[in-house]
Amino acid sequence: MTSQTPLLSAELSRRGFLRGVGVAGAGLALASCARTAGSGPTEIVFYQSKPEVIGYFDDLIDQFHQSQSRVRVRHDATSNLAGTFVRESPPDIGCLNYNFEISRYVERGALSDLGDMPEAGRILDELQPLIDVTATYPDRTSVIPYSLMAAAVLYNRQIFAEHDLTVPTTWDELIAVCDTLAAAGVTPLYSTFKDPWTIAQGHFDYSVGGTVDTTTFFNQLKRQGTNVGPDSPVSFEKQFLAPVQQMQELVPYSQDNAESRGYGDGNLAFANGEAAMYLQGPWAIGEIAKSNPDLDVGAFPLPMTDDPADRKVRVNIDLALWIPEQSTKKEAAREFLSFLMQPDVIDAYNAHALGFGVTKDAAPVSNATLVELKDFYDRAAFYLGASQLVPQSIPLQNYTQSLAAGADPEPVLRTLDADWRRLAFRS
Amino acid sequence: MVTAAPTRPGRLDVEATTPTHAGRPRVNRTFYLFLLPTLILFTLSITLPAIMGITLSFTDSVGFGEFQFTGLTNYLALFSDPAIRSSYLFTIGFALVTVLLVNLVAFLLAVGLTAKIRAKVALRAVFVLPMVISGIVIAYVFNFLFSNSVPQLGQAVGITALEQSLLANPDLAWVTIVIVTAWQAIPSALLIYIAGILSIPGEVYEAASMDGASSGRRLVSITLPLVAGYVVINLVIGFKNFLNAYDIIVGLTNGGPGTATRSVAMTIFSGFTGGDYAYQMANATIFFLIAVVLAVIQLRLTRGRNAF
Repeated sequence: MTSQTPLLSAELSRRGFLRGVGVAGAGLALASCARTAGSGPTEIVFYQSKPEVIGYFDDLIDQFHQSQSRVRVRHDATSNLAGTFVRESPPDIGCLNYNFEISRYVERGALSDLGDMPEAGRILDELQPLIDVTATYPDRTSVIPYSLMAAAVLYNRQIFAEHDLTVPTTWDELIAVCDTLAAAGVTPLYSTFKDPWTIAQGHFDYSVGGTVDTTTFFNQLKRQGTNVGPDSPVSFEKQFLAPVQQMQELVPYSQDNAESRGYGDGNLAFANGEAAMYLQGPWAIGEIAKSNPDLDVGAFPLPMTDDPADRKVRVNIDLALWIPEQSTKKEAAREFLSFLMQPDVIDAYNAHALGFGVTKDAAPVSNATLVELKDFYDRAAFYLGASQLVPQSIPLQNYTQSLAAGADPEPVLRTLDADWRRLAFRS
Repeated sequence: MVTAAPTRPGRLDVEATTPTHAGRPRVNRTFYLFLLPTLILFTLSITLPAIMGITLSFTDSVGFGEFQFTGLTNYLALFSDPAIRSSYLFTIGFALVTVLLVNLVAFLLAVGLTAKIRAKVALRAVFVLPMVISGIVIAYVFNFLFSNSVPQLGQAVGITALEQSLLANPDLAWVTIVIVTAWQAIPSALLIYIAGILSIPGEVYEAASMDGASSGRRLVSITLPLVAGYVVINLVIGFKNFLNAYDIIVGLTNGGPGTATRSVAMTIFSGFTGGDYAYQMANATIFFLIAVVLAVIQLRLTRGRNAF
């Protein structure tokens, strides 16, 4: 074995960094897990690591403590989650992004069934296909969604107004908008190619999701097993080629130094009005407002076809609640879960974090930017980002970085097909 | 970092034994007791996890929960995986280039720093400084320099090749990793070379200069052959360390652009966070075997040398 165990998570993304640093904290977490409560309140560990809302959840935990005295909640925001499962001491309840990362816990049956909880019945029916295509375990409700993020093109309303532009509804209109802006000396699009995740969730996901029905595509892809290639009904090379080529047509409208700019640079530059459009999700809205609270930001789904009715927004289940099978305090964890799911608590969270409600009784979104996307969400004109459905062992984010740098799309997509085949072969 | 204390191999065991009437040397038990703590710790923290890891490489485990034995499936998949192949090619190429650069620079610096110059001690301290800074910190600082300062400099002096960030160039990003890794690794090689050069008796040089040997001739014919043992050690140890390249790459390019700079260690660790546990365990097993081969070569090469 190699002599050094790296302390940092491999993906130094927005969230990954904190989590990586937290490996050290895992030891501490273990130590305190070992302490079993005799009499008195039951202590449960609540795992939640979305950096923007760690403080918010601390406040919620305080509220919960004031409302009852049976359960005490300890907030873990830094442990390496994979490590806790490997050591067979997972948290008692988790609240995490529901994507490729959590799917293996679901598929290996590591998460308990929540189907008997009344909260499970309150979830919007339209979300079920999104949950199923990500991961399922037979006859189980493994997760309960908590917050959903709808992402689209963020645009500077003031720049659009100055150039008499309206929101484009077709691909041709989009290109026309970009040409008009470029001719006027305005950078149409701010891109941050230094951070691969920004390309994967933005340029790549928007392009693919605007053309391909990702739920159908990935369900079919999974059914095909190792048969993914030129002769199979669906493959990355077949269905993704056209949207990826369109994405590469869009890339040149980015600013000149896009290759050396990261997420933080992008937020700052967009806040300063350096570009008209920015392919980022609602999580960037708060960051942009930190630099320029007065910026008038709008949002529209990236139009990829010549039919305005094809427009869809990219969604991801930003937070979902789950309780591991191995938790010995499931009842206490369920009590906290019910508290978090109380309509006023969950609505307040989603209003705060700029999420869309996931329950049938949720309050409508009210953020000035996101109201432009409300209609799409209400009509279920949405898709899961393709990058959220490809397992992490395939370096998709890095591939999208190559594509953004102008790599020939066919070989890259063929590699993606081959990676998928190999993954299917060994799992 | 390798700061192995010089130990003498070979004849030591003779002193630890006392002849018995059976003719077979009997080893004093106390020596085994000295070994015991290390042996226990090593077994618990290295050997057992390694055996567990190798076992898991024959399964479809994701690190927890249910798993099944799948035989050689992971290994078969491994050998047909171009991503794995390119990570090995990149890592080995990177390690070769870096180890040569590090040793060339460190040797020349050592020659300079052992010569009769002013402020020798202060300069040595300056050159050793990079060794004490953590790799990830160095990587982030250089990341900023390569993304912002170097392109600005390129613009200012009109070198178009430098105007675009090197980190964003798939063909040249590896150069930045070599530079930064070398910057951090040169001090430890430098220290070994300084020690090596200082251990050469001054009389040899005196005799050479009396015979009229030029300073270049003395470097090639005296210094170099007499520190040859140190060169071998620096090359082998350096190469082995650079094969483990991880933190500096994560901080500089994170394996990009594309997958141009993904090292083997990064690929293996991605299995831990990415749910490809058993597969990357198989990869780690292969990597471990390569390390074993290198260790054997190192032992062979250094046996009988006067150093170590």
